[in-house]
Amino acid sequence: MIVLDALLQGILMGLLFALVALGLTIIFGMMDIVNFAHGEFLMIGMYTTYWTSLFLHIDPLITLPASAIVGMLLGLASYYWLVKYLLRGPMIAQLFGTFGLMLFLRYLAQFLFGIDYRIIQKGLLVGKTLSLEFPYLGIFRFDWTKLSAAILSLIAFLLVYYLLHRTKLGKALRATALNREAANYMGIKTERMNALAWMIGGGTVGIAGGLIVNFWYVYPTVGLLFVMIAFASVAMGGFGSIKGAFFAGILVGILEMLFPMFGHLTGWDFFGPHFKFTVVYFAYFIIVVLRPQGLFGWKK
Amino acid sequence: MEKIKDALDFRDFSKPEKVGFAIFTLFLLAFPWLGAGSFVKAVAIQFLLFSLFGMGWNTIGGYGGQVELGKAQYVGIGAYTVALMMVWWKIPFWVSMPIGILIALGYSFIIGYPLFRLKGHYFAIATICTSLVLQDIFINWKLVGAAKGIELPIHEHPDFLYMQFKSDTFYFYFIMVLFYIAIFYMNWFRKSKLGYQLRMIKEDEEAAESLGIDARWCKIKAYSIASAFVAVGGGFLAVYNLYIDPYSVMDLDLSIKIALMAMLGGAGSMWGPIIGSAFLVPLDRFLGSWLGAHKGLIGVDFMIYSALIMIVSAYQPRGIWGIIEQFRKKGT
Repeated sequence: MIVLDALLQGILMGLLFALVALGLTIIFGMMDIVNFAHGEFLMIGMYTTYWTSLFLHIDPLITLPASAIVGMLLGLASYYWLVKYLLRGPMIAQLFGTFGLMLFLRYLAQFLFGIDYRIIQKGLLVGKTLSLEFPYLGIFRFDWTKLSAAILSLIAFLLVYYLLHRTKLGKALRATALNREAANYMGIKTERMNALAWMIGGGTVGIAGGLIVNFWYVYPTVGLLFVMIAFASVAMGGFGSIKGAFFAGILVGILEMLFPMFGHLTGWDFFGPHFKFTVVYFAYFIIVVLRPQGLFGWKK
Repeated sequence: MEKIKDALDFRDFSKPEKVGFAIFTLFLLAFPWLGAGSFVKAVAIQFLLFSLFGMGWNTIGGYGGQVELGKAQYVGIGAYTVALMMVWWKIPFWVSMPIGILIALGYSFIIGYPLFRLKGHYFAIATICTSLVLQDIFINWKLVGAAKGIELPIHEHPDFLYMQFKSDTFYFYFIMVLFYIAIFYMNWFRKSKLGYQLRMIKEDEEAAESLGIDARWCKIKAYSIASAFVAVGGGFLAVYNLYIDPYSVMDLDLSIKIALMAMLGGAGSMWGPIIGSAFLVPLDRFLGSWLGAHKGLIGVDFMIYSALIMIVSAYQPRGIWGIIEQFRKKGT
């Protein structure tokens, strides 16, 4: 019963993790770049929703388009002003380049907004819970904020999936990811496809940020936690695999919820809630060592 | 004997390099007597310490070409071994530091064995993960002080056995000795068999393996050497600061700084890490103290710092040493 509850909560969180991981995996699949600044994109999405809902006095859920647009612009700006140049260099320069971007955005946020922890206090759904009673199983309680965030992130995920797999644009994007030169010969503007990948990546993570801020504190260094979770999910699912990111995100969500539950049941201090993200890092390590291509990976 | 001769042999460097190195050595020897303030001295110690870290990283990251971003865990191992042994059993620094190195070596073999099945991004992220796991364990481990960290007992009188001195000058000369041992070691390392093997692996791993080089084993060896270097620095950090906690010695930022300094100076070259840390450590510290004094400008120093990282990685991935070599080639 309590385990089932944790499982459901884990799936809700997992859907959000999947949306965070989506942008990372698209970008990696396109150009073999790991975007360290991904968590900071998320943080900026969170701040965008926070400030727009505060200043315009509207519900945080309506501000999602603002977060999405800010995320997209951020993605585009990073591609044209930084990543384009990084692509010419060796891998280590690419790693440090996006790492520099991460630090820059983090301290920019700290400079602009201070180091305070902020959370949305007003909103239609904030603080409300949904209780569902099932025969034999008892009552399940869900925070409306989490539930709606999970549903919306599922919708966003499906939309991006549709865009990539059912439209001509998505076909061009996937073709570029498979073979850049061949795509170039077919008349696909690969440079633009790169920018598009960064735009989609930034947009989705912006939306994810807008959803997460409904029930999570936002502060300048919040990104690191989420980017590590996203790395773990992307590695589990296989770098570049969208389906993989989805299932691995949910798996990470479940892991992160079940682990403290296990500690709660056994009473063993080692399995405490403070280790719930450690287990995610550890799972990443084990999975990449045993199965480097991930669960659904096609790129090795 | 042969090895020591190789280590002391600087003949294959060009004349400007040799002269520069000699002037630099004299400057370091005279530095504490030039009337620098305590802040400048602290910056100089930091510079030598980070050069030591950077030279360690250079074995695996520079010569081996593996993007390693988890060096902070070995700083932590070195620092915690020295600190804990001193607090629990009053074991002198000179005993606990070698033990710290041994622990770091053992740990690096255990971690390195599975780690070097991985390549590229997978490897880079996995090194971050191992470091974060160890940091999380230390943050929550009550026995070693958890998040509060541990304070080393302060001796009333200066004590050579426990490496406690009143003045920074002694620490300066001590880290300088370590720094020169590291330089001589690196001078030998770049001419050693392992050094050549690593450079070959960096150029073309498959070709290296077809020549009978066990690439994975070479990388593990280089990784362990790097870890030992860093653990020495960690031990020094413990006696120098007299206080350590998981956030100051095991943070991801520290790992990144170590790798960044080596890369900014020029990874895979003898002088790269030194130049990098000579450039970044003062920049970091002076910017920090200058901007930190102004209220409302918190974080601006890091913004400048990170902007610099982006510019260097976008335009000159081979670092400052790469720029110098470019000019030299044009000159001749």
